[in-house]
Amino acid sequence: MNTLLAIRDLHVRYPLKTGLSALAGNRPSFVDVVHGVSLDINRGETVAIVGESGSGKTTLAMAVCGLAPVFRGEVRFDGRQLERERNNRLNPDRKRVALMFQDPVGSLSPRMTVRKILAEPFRIHRTGSSSPEQEARRLLSLVGLSEDFGDRYPHQLSGGQARRVGVARALALEPDLLIADEPTAGLDVSIQGEVLNLMSRLQQQMGLGIMIITHNLNVVRHIADRMAIMYLGRFVEQGDAQKIFSRPRHPYTEALLSANPSTDPDAGSGRIELSGEVPSLLRRPAGCEFNTRCPRAGDRCRVSFPGLAGDFGDQAYHCHFPLD
Amino acid sequence: MSQPVLKIRDLSVSYQTEAGPLQALRDVTFAVPAGKIIGIVGESGCGKSTLISTIIRLIAPNARIGKGSILFKGDDLLRMTSAEMRALRGDEISMVFQDPMTSLNPVRPIGRQMADVQHRDALSRREKNARSESMLGRVGIPDPAAQLTRYPHQLSGGMRQRVAIAMALMAEPSLLIADEPTTALDATLEVQIIHRLQELQRDFGCSILFISHHLGVIAELCDEVVVMYAGEVVESGPMRDVFLEPRHPYTRKLLECDPARIAEPTRDLPVIEGSLPNLVQLPDGCIFRERCPKTIERCGLQRPRLAGDGHQASCHLLDTAE
Repeated sequence: MNTLLAIRDLHVRYPLKTGLSALAGNRPSFVDVVHGVSLDINRGETVAIVGESGSGKTTLAMAVCGLAPVFRGEVRFDGRQLERERNNRLNPDRKRVALMFQDPVGSLSPRMTVRKILAEPFRIHRTGSSSPEQEARRLLSLVGLSEDFGDRYPHQLSGGQARRVGVARALALEPDLLIADEPTAGLDVSIQGEVLNLMSRLQQQMGLGIMIITHNLNVVRHIADRMAIMYLGRFVEQGDAQKIFSRPRHPYTEALLSANPSTDPDAGSGRIELSGEVPSLLRRPAGCEFNTRCPRAGDRCRVSFPGLAGDFGDQAYHCHFPLD
Repeated sequence: MSQPVLKIRDLSVSYQTEAGPLQALRDVTFAVPAGKIIGIVGESGCGKSTLISTIIRLIAPNARIGKGSILFKGDDLLRMTSAEMRALRGDEISMVFQDPMTSLNPVRPIGRQMADVQHRDALSRREKNARSESMLGRVGIPDPAAQLTRYPHQLSGGMRQRVAIAMALMAEPSLLIADEPTTALDATLEVQIIHRLQELQRDFGCSILFISHHLGVIAELCDEVVVMYAGEVVESGPMRDVFLEPRHPYTRKLLECDPARIAEPTRDLPVIEGSLPNLVQLPDGCIFRERCPKTIERCGLQRPRLAGDGHQASCHLLDTAE
């Protein structure tokens, strides 16, 4: 297979205390936001990362882009490590990974016109076959916006238009991997379809690998080839999206899939409602992290963390008592 | 049937802009019956927020209420003095906002804020705290006594929203207005909050006006639904009727676009072609005409009115079909 991104046992750890206070007290002095994640993304493939807020999805994306510190493990892009070079200059591979941020308007500079925003990547990386302004025009037409949008400021755009500008900027330098953090959050259903269709079309044209972070499972079902379900910084289950939808093995996956509110008034039955709260990352439960809310948890779950079962390339999960 | 708690008739609201008046709401008519959950669904720009701020009379300075009435238990809210309105808000009518982080005061503990809400009641601090504690318990917050001393940032998103709901129910209002209360939450928490709202509604017997652009949440929670498009009510009726047999082309389109309804995975998701009409220069005829797949000549000439009994829709095609 043509593996574009390979993540192995990735940990992202943030310090909570510094200096002398780190030595005193009984509170932990660090928090593991991403806790041992492994994932492959191939060219032309869409992989969805699903999970509740605070489960570490965005931090994982940041770590892949080099915007969050990697504590342990590695991120290999096209076989090479994607870290800062020794003289603290950005690795040239970085421009092959593009990020679409969660907040469509907030991630565009309010003081720049759309044209300036789209021309900026070319100026920074000093690439592009024509002038940055011409490139900006080309990008606008790529995402289906007319040329006069170039003169607008972000506050003059609607949510859907701002998303399109976000897509255009992310694709400016023709990356190989696009990381889209909640690309449809807050969008209306009709516009949500537009943005997703646009991403799929560009994926076909450019052979992009896409990592999409979302908690909208309806979207995942349509666009993802593979998916990973994240809980407290770990993937509890990952693999082929269709297989996971039709036969989830981890109890958390099952609950998440069943919680999906549907517009069919008769669809409400068969829902598994999880009790309790998501535990704090500061007080990571012993054993399996999900045992505090799991309907199937037994004594073993409170003591030992279940190893990876199943086939990593197909469908794999961490559970002592998987579903059939 | 008893008198509705809230009855809105022919409400029109416009905003003064440089380009002229922007007609944000036009002839909005619907009722919230006692003890029912009514959902208002519509995409951004359909006038949901203008509608709520008009009901609680906290409208932007450039907004003008053109005509219509908002009867709350028989009294017109639009004719009340600001003092009378103040007495209603937070007591008879209360609200839950979209983002619990910004609607709670970040520098005051939960308990203090919940006591503040009870400023109308002649109770001691201790009695107020006891009430707050039992209310937190009722919305399903574990260990409520300990939570009273905590600050909003120390709670998770789902807990914060439940605190906001507890505060809104503190005065046992007749009408609870919930403005996209689950948008900031995840699917599993969303379901938790929806079920909690249903339970509380049964216990307290209040009416809920629930605003959302998430069709699935509306289908899950509401008894009746009002569909809005570009400042007009295009369809309203019992939830099952509207979702199972939508009459207005916009409602049908909206439901078609919902990825949950499409069984076969597809990378070519349906969209509603075109964009919202300019509300400063309203088009003639039907507001949805430019995006409607099946227009007839009359659609460009005459504005359709809401018609039907119980399940209503404003579309010329319904006349011709019968």
